[in-house]
Amino acid sequence: MATREPETGWHGENSDVNHLRGRAFEATCLAATAFGLVSVLLLLLFVANDAFRPFSADAGWLATYAATVLVPLAALAVYYYRLDEPAGEVAYVTSGLPVVGLLLTGGFAVLFIELLSVLEWFALLISLVVAGGLIVAHGRLRPKAALERLAVVLLAPIITVFGLPPTRFNWFVTDAAAALGLDFGLYYRVISLREAIMMLPFVPTDWVMLLLTLVLPVAGAAGWFVEQRRESRRDGLAVVGLTAAVAVLGVVAGPLLGIGTDVWLLIVTFAVLPLGVYVEGVLRRGEGVRGLAFPVAAVLGVVVGSVVTGALGFAGPDPWLDWGFLTSATSRTAADAGIYPSMVGSVMMIIVIVLTTFPVGVGAAIYLEEYAPSQGLMGKFVTLIEINIGNLAGVPSVVYGLLGLALFIRVLQWPQGSVIVAGLAVGLLILPIVIISAQEAIRSVPDSFRQASYGMGATRWQTIRQVVLPEALPGILTGTILALGRAIGETAPLLMIGAAASVRLAPNSFFDVASMMPRQIFSWSSELDPSFRHGVLAAGVITLLAVLLVMNATAIVIRNRYQRTG
Amino acid sequence: MSTETPGPNITSRPSGRAARERMYRYVLLLCAAASILVTVSIVVLLARDAITFFTLVNPVDFFTGTEFLISRNVYGLLPLLSGTLLVTVISAVIALPTGVAAAVYLSEYASDQMRSVLKPGLEILAGIPTVVYGIFALVYVTPFLQTIGLPVNTFNILSASIMVGIMIIPMVSSLSEDAMSSVPDSLRQAGYGMGATKFEVTTGVVVPAAASGIFSSFILALSRAIGETMIVVVAAGSRPRMLNLSDPLANLFQGYQPMTAAMVQINSADSVSQLGFTSLFAIGLTLFVITFLLNLLSNRIAARYREEYE
Repeated sequence: MATREPETGWHGENSDVNHLRGRAFEATCLAATAFGLVSVLLLLLFVANDAFRPFSADAGWLATYAATVLVPLAALAVYYYRLDEPAGEVAYVTSGLPVVGLLLTGGFAVLFIELLSVLEWFALLISLVVAGGLIVAHGRLRPKAALERLAVVLLAPIITVFGLPPTRFNWFVTDAAAALGLDFGLYYRVISLREAIMMLPFVPTDWVMLLLTLVLPVAGAAGWFVEQRRESRRDGLAVVGLTAAVAVLGVVAGPLLGIGTDVWLLIVTFAVLPLGVYVEGVLRRGEGVRGLAFPVAAVLGVVVGSVVTGALGFAGPDPWLDWGFLTSATSRTAADAGIYPSMVGSVMMIIVIVLTTFPVGVGAAIYLEEYAPSQGLMGKFVTLIEINIGNLAGVPSVVYGLLGLALFIRVLQWPQGSVIVAGLAVGLLILPIVIISAQEAIRSVPDSFRQASYGMGATRWQTIRQVVLPEALPGILTGTILALGRAIGETAPLLMIGAAASVRLAPNSFFDVASMMPRQIFSWSSELDPSFRHGVLAAGVITLLAVLLVMNATAIVIRNRYQRTG
Repeated sequence: MSTETPGPNITSRPSGRAARERMYRYVLLLCAAASILVTVSIVVLLARDAITFFTLVNPVDFFTGTEFLISRNVYGLLPLLSGTLLVTVISAVIALPTGVAAAVYLSEYASDQMRSVLKPGLEILAGIPTVVYGIFALVYVTPFLQTIGLPVNTFNILSASIMVGIMIIPMVSSLSEDAMSSVPDSLRQAGYGMGATKFEVTTGVVVPAAASGIFSSFILALSRAIGETMIVVVAAGSRPRMLNLSDPLANLFQGYQPMTAAMVQINSADSVSQLGFTSLFAIGLTLFVITFLLNLLSNRIAARYREEYE
């Protein structure tokens, strides 16, 4: 049998019907993929239009900014996309880092303004350092006393941070002291080191304390990172020294710029320092240097644009989302309404979640991936846990709210609608997500790493702490940031635990009743006044989405870096 | 990994170390067991108040009652269930075909570049807070439906369901895509070898082979739609209503109150009797049981299917 000539083909090849049907199917599928994206994009454009009202500006204003900002940046973006991809990434990171940094700055500023004074922060940190020192010292002095160390590990932080509550123990100590002719005055409670520091007659000024407890540690970490990367101790020290110098400069420059010394220090720590390290790295490697033009062009464009519009007298738009919106409390009149207290509420809720859910979630993931037996009764239990975690991820958020209501408010009698209840309820909601993503990150650490560590004589915990966790950290961080993004937007649990509809004052303790951003937005959505419904509401939605966007972008950048090196 | 650690006497502090290793193990086990604790406390705490409720209200009346009026102490679940059902059905009609088509495109047709744009794009849809979707429905979609001539009320089930549908598209598409891309390539090659076109291979080989995975994604998406709260609270209205079977189309344009929305309303109402308050837990428990069973079912189907190909 002779084989067929290829030109004759098989029966369906020249049939147009088949191709048409296939093409139509492909197009339908593409349209379906795009459907959700396009419709949400359109809705977002509507919201953005309501929030920023760009068309309330003079045509000249729009034209000026289009010429100075939009056109140059678009041209640069096209150039990077087409010709210089590494520069594109540099542009992306250098524009994004300051935003993330400023967001962190804002978070810490909220922490210092609303929650803690700088002195409290200072005292807390010193106490924790002392507690850590005690634990380490005990480990050195009595290396074999495991049980004793357990007691030290538990008691040292409690005593230094919280002191001892009034108990029989105190009376016993006081009585014993009195028998020796001493008087400690311990009848009520043992005062903690933290409280002792706060009662000192002389404390350093705020900026010195911030410099010591926040700027220098962060700079030290950055310096250590640089030192590791370049294997040069000098470079690492240079980072620390430069940061300290720029920070101290703030004592003069901060008040001159009208932002205050403390804010200057925070900006230096969270925005300038990471940006500086990154830009320096880019310059030294000489890879994608052209990307640095992007942020420069953006800043220049804004400056030139504002000079030109100022000179020609063009009026800008009157957006709902402006500085006043971000810094004032909600109000009955739409023009005065703002989101500030609920932003503080959200930040504090995130602090609760990070402190509670993150350790438990990562701990659970470590157990399931590194310790869990797969056989026997315990193995069955572990399988049950795994299935259960999967199912918990699918439980509706309103049920978690109900759990929070029943557990924290009705059983434990904590104040209704307080930050701690909100944080714990939402924390339980994202716990399965944190566990699952941390498990994936830990699973992706190659087994050979563990074998090598065991081969060196390390125990399982040493292997986990020094080999597995550092390797898995970027993955865990990515997952956690995404989960926190989910947490910021959750509303139903907040409604169920009774978070406040609108608060005039930002909360300043974890047991205060607070409002959170989505809760505040929800209460605006029931206002009938169109300037609320189309203005304030849109501004709130854009604020919330902007925070989420920055968080997701950060997670994606971390993931990309990690995938490349790992 | 279950590699045993080396013998004890290599380094200097054997006894303390063994004790510490044990301690870490138990602390971590405790963390893992926390998830069981959460489940148990959900069941126990919800059941506690739900039982109080059911001692005062006959469960049969609760599950078959056609009226839900807290102010008159009438608790029938069916109006709330019909709201939930409507949202689920309409959003499924939107999301299931769209999600599967998107999965087909991403897994079979899309170039790498297209995929690298579309996949994260769809993930973003899943990351938008649901209260924002609710606001979209209330402030933008409902007026839009009114301008194109549909007789919708300010609060209506249609626009809420459309947004729920869009919200669950990524869930359907990503899980279905996983199922489709784990269909072995040999099956596709066999199809092409028989002279089938890409269209025929996709619809005749890949989709049927991935059917169980797709089905499990459907169930998960339905469970998500049933439990969705904020979209319906914002946009679907607050009036419990029975499904009107005589005029099915009119149902779409009215407001309904699904179970989740009713829970939020009962909880935030100013004056609710003790009995009304406990009805919250009865509804919550029902919702939890429904979604939990659906999730379990979806897991079962997905697990069975996974065994088939790996």
